[in-house]
Amino acid sequence: MRGIALVGLRPLEVRVEATCSPGLPVLKLVGLPDAAVREAGERVRTAIQRHGLRWPGERVVVNLAPADLPKVGSSFDLPLAIAVLAATGQVPMAAASRTWACGELGLDGSVRAVTGQLPLVAGARQLGARELLVPAAAAAEAALVTGLHLVPVTDLTDVVAALEGRRPAAALQPLLPPLRPCTDPPAPDLADVRGQPLARRAVELAAAGGHHLLLTGPPGCGKTMLAERLHGLLPDLTTDEAIEVAAIHSLAGERRPDDPLRVRPPLRAPHQVVSAAALVGGGAGVPRPGEVSLAHRGVLVLDELLEIPRAVLDALRQPLERGEVVLSRARARVSYPGAVLLVGAANPCPCGHLGDPRRACSCRPDRIERYRARLSGPLLDRLDLQVALQPLARTALLDGTPGETSSVVGARVAAARTAAAQRWGAVRLNRDVDAVLLRRTTARPALARLAAALSGLGASARAFDRMLRVARTIADLEGREVVDVGHVEEAVAYRLPPVPVPA
Amino acid sequence: MSGTALWRLACEVEELVAPGTQPAVLAALLAWAVRPRRTLEGLRRALAARGGPDGSPAEALLAQVQEHVDDQDAAAASRLLPRWRARGCRVSVVGDPGYPARLAEDWPSTDGPVLLATSGARPPTAPTVAVVGARSASSYGTGIAAWLAEAASAAGVHVVSGGAVGIDAAAHRAALEGPGGTSVVLGCGHDVGYPRGHARAGGLFERILAGGGGLLSEQLPAVPPKAGIVRARNRIVAGLADLVVVVEGGPRSGALLTAGAAAERGRPVLAVPGDIRLAGSAAPNRLLAEGAGACTEPADLLAALASDRVAVAATVPQTPARTTGAMTVLPREVHRELAAAWPRAVTGDGLIDRSGLPAGTVLAALTRAQVAGEVVGRADGFVLRRAPEPGGR
Ligand SMILES: [Zn+2]
Repeated sequence: MRGIALVGLRPLEVRVEATCSPGLPVLKLVGLPDAAVREAGERVRTAIQRHGLRWPGERVVVNLAPADLPKVGSSFDLPLAIAVLAATGQVPMAAASRTWACGELGLDGSVRAVTGQLPLVAGARQLGARELLVPAAAAAEAALVTGLHLVPVTDLTDVVAALEGRRPAAALQPLLPPLRPCTDPPAPDLADVRGQPLARRAVELAAAGGHHLLLTGPPGCGKTMLAERLHGLLPDLTTDEAIEVAAIHSLAGERRPDDPLRVRPPLRAPHQVVSAAALVGGGAGVPRPGEVSLAHRGVLVLDELLEIPRAVLDALRQPLERGEVVLSRARARVSYPGAVLLVGAANPCPCGHLGDPRRACSCRPDRIERYRARLSGPLLDRLDLQVALQPLARTALLDGTPGETSSVVGARVAAARTAAAQRWGAVRLNRDVDAVLLRRTTARPALARLAAALSGLGASARAFDRMLRVARTIADLEGREVVDVGHVEEAVAYRLPPVPVPA
Repeated sequence: MSGTALWRLACEVEELVAPGTQPAVLAALLAWAVRPRRTLEGLRRALAARGGPDGSPAEALLAQVQEHVDDQDAAAASRLLPRWRARGCRVSVVGDPGYPARLAEDWPSTDGPVLLATSGARPPTAPTVAVVGARSASSYGTGIAAWLAEAASAAGVHVVSGGAVGIDAAAHRAALEGPGGTSVVLGCGHDVGYPRGHARAGGLFERILAGGGGLLSEQLPAVPPKAGIVRARNRIVAGLADLVVVVEGGPRSGALLTAGAAAERGRPVLAVPGDIRLAGSAAPNRLLAEGAGACTEPADLLAALASDRVAVAATVPQTPARTTGAMTVLPREVHRELAAAWPRAVTGDGLIDRSGLPAGTVLAALTRAQVAGEVVGRADGFVLRRAPEPGGR
C-alpha cells in the first residue's frame, strides 16, 4: 500500500503496512505521524465499521515507512484503510500491495478530496505509480495529470470493488472529461495607456526578457495600470506549467479541486507586505508557500516598495537569484518554485511629488537622499528596468493617441521569447542567462561602450551583466542576433541615476 | 654638502628616471627644488641669461645646483618619491632622450620645463596639435573641439591639451580612441587629482591612460593647481604641439597664453570663428583679427600641419557632425526639443512623443549624450548641459 508525502512540491513514497496480532483491539500507528495522521486512525476505524466492513477484534499495528519522513495531512486515510482491509482479508493482498492511493475518509466511509490533491497526483506519477485511487470529487482535476490510470472512488465500497478488479481503471478514464483550461477575463489592453511611451517600452522589454521592473512616480500616474498590462503581455502557460502553478496554489489552499485550470500566468499583488513569511513562505510545521511561489511563472507586484522593511525585502533576494525559495526548518528543508517577474512601484520621494510639474515636492533634500539610497540595495540592483513616470495630464488621458494594442506588442514579445528560448535552450529567458554566454552574442564595441558608460556615469560594475541582459532583449525584439552599441545604450538608459535638480 | 645623502637619493631615484636621464642629475635637481623660493624655472632663466649652457643641459643644471643642496634637502626630496611612484611616473630632464624633443627646441631661450614627469605613454614624435579653449564652454565649442580632435586623431595626429573641463576634455575624449591618441598636460602635481571629475577612478584620465595616452606635469608631487601654475602649463601645451587651435575662450582665457607661447616658438595658430555676441568667442575672434588662420573644418587643421613641416595622412574622415550641421551626438529632432526648452528640462516621454522617434532610439541617444557630457538626466527630465547656440537649429 503506497501513499505520497510532499516535502514542498517534492513527492516521496510512503509505504503503509498493517498487521493484526492477538491482543486487545487497539490501533497503533508507527512512523512519526503528525497529529492529523494520528486522528486518521480513529477516522478510518469508524469509517470501516459504519460502512459495514469488519474491523479486526485484535491488536492492529500500522507502519508508515520511511519513519523519518514527516507525514502531514489526511491524504493517508485511504492507504491506511486499504492496509487494514488487506490485513484482514477483505480485499486481495496482492492487489492492495501494489496500489497507490490518496484521499481523506469521512466517518461514513465516503472518500473526500484533500488540500493539495493536484500535487499529490502529479507526485504519484513522478514516483512511477501506474494506477492511483483518487477521490471522485478530485478526479477531474487529477485527470490533468496524464500518464497514469486514475480510479475515482466515492466511498469504501468503490475501493473494495476496484481492488477486486470489478472496476477496471482504464474503463473509467474516458468518463472523466479533463478540466477545460480556462482563460481569465480578457486582460486590460495596453492601448488604454496613452502617452507614457517610456513606460510602454519598459513594459514590453520586461515581458519579453522577464526583467524586473521598477516604476517610480507620484501617486496616480498609472503604476498599477501598467503592471496589469505587463501581465497581459505574457504568453499563456503550457499545460505542464499550468499544472505546476495549480499544484502550488492547491498546496497553499488557494485552489479548490473543481476550479478551472488557469493557463494565464498568475498575477499577485499582495497589499501591505508585512512579513517575510507571507512573501516567501513559512509558518509553523511544514512551511507553506508564500506570495513569491504563488506568483511562480507570473508577475509579482509590490507597491510602495521602499516602504517595505529591509528585512522583508532581503528575503526576496534568494528567489530572484535562483527562481526558487528554500525554507529550512528543524524537521524539513522545503523548496518551492518562485520564478517571478517582479514589478516594484515606488514614490520618487517621501511626499511623492518630486519631479511632478503640478505640485511642489515638500521633502528636505537630505530626506530625498536617504530615500533614494534605499534604491541602491542589492535587491533593488536586480530591478533592471527603472522608469520614472510623469503624472498624466488630463488631456493626454482623454485625447492622447492610443498606443499599440496588447496583441500587437504581445506578438513581438512572443517572437522575442521564442528567439531567446531557441538560443539558450533550457534557460529560456534572457533574465536568467549566464553572463559568459551573453557576452558571446554581444558585439565587441558594444561591450566597450557599456564599460565606458558605466565608468563614466558612476554606475556599479556589477550592473554590467544585468544591463547586457536587457540589451539582449532589445536586440531580440528587433530580431537581431548580435547585440549592438545602440541596444546597449538603451539598456543603460534604464539604470542611469538621475542627478538632483538644482534649486 | 654630504655626498652620501645625495648618493642615497640618486639610488632611490634610479627606478623613476626615464631612459637616458642620469639619476644623479635628477636627484640633485629634486633636492634643490624642494626648498622654498627655489624654482626650476629660475634655473632655466639663469642659464638663458648666461647665453646657454656649456655642454648638455643636464651637466649645466647639475653644475648650478650641486653646491647648494644638503642632507635635509635630500631627505625632503626622498619623501616625494613614493607619490610619483604610486602614479607610475617616469621623470626626465630637459635635453635627455626621454624628454620631448619639440619642447627642448632652443632651450633655455624657450621656456620648456627643466623636469617632466610622465605617467602613461610619452608624447609621440608624430605630428601634434593642441586643441585648447575655455572651461565654461558652450555646446557649440565642445562639439567643434570634439569634431576637430576626432578627425585629427583619426588622421594619426596626436592631440594635446590641458585636461580641464570644457573644451580640453571634449578634445581629449574625442581623440583618445583614434590612432593619433592624446596627452594631457596637468596644471598641478601628478598625485593631486585635479580636476577631480577627470582624475577619479574610471574618469577621463584613467580612460586616456587605458587608451595608450599620457599625463604630463612639470610640477613636483603635491603641488596644488594654483592659478599661476595652471597658466604656466599652457606654455608646455604649446611647446609640445606643431600647431595650436583655439576653439573658444573669453577675453582673458588661458588659451591666449597657449597661442602666444606657440607664436613665440614660431609655430602656427588657428582659431575657430565664434558668435560675436558671446563672451566665449572673444579669444578666437581676437586671434583671427591679429592674423591667426581660421579653422572651420578638420581639413584646415590638417593642411596647417602639412604646410608647416610634417606629413599628415591625407584622408580626412567625413564626420556625421558635419553632415548634419551641428555638433551633437543627438538626433536632430531630439536636440531641437532640448534646445527649445533650455534651460528647462524635457521628460523622456516628452522627447519621445515630440521627436516622433522610437522610444529605444531616443533612450540610446540620451545615454550617448549623457556619456559625452552634452546632456544631464535629472529627476524632472533631460536638459542640455550648456546653452544651445543662438540661432542654431
Ligand atoms: Zn517630496
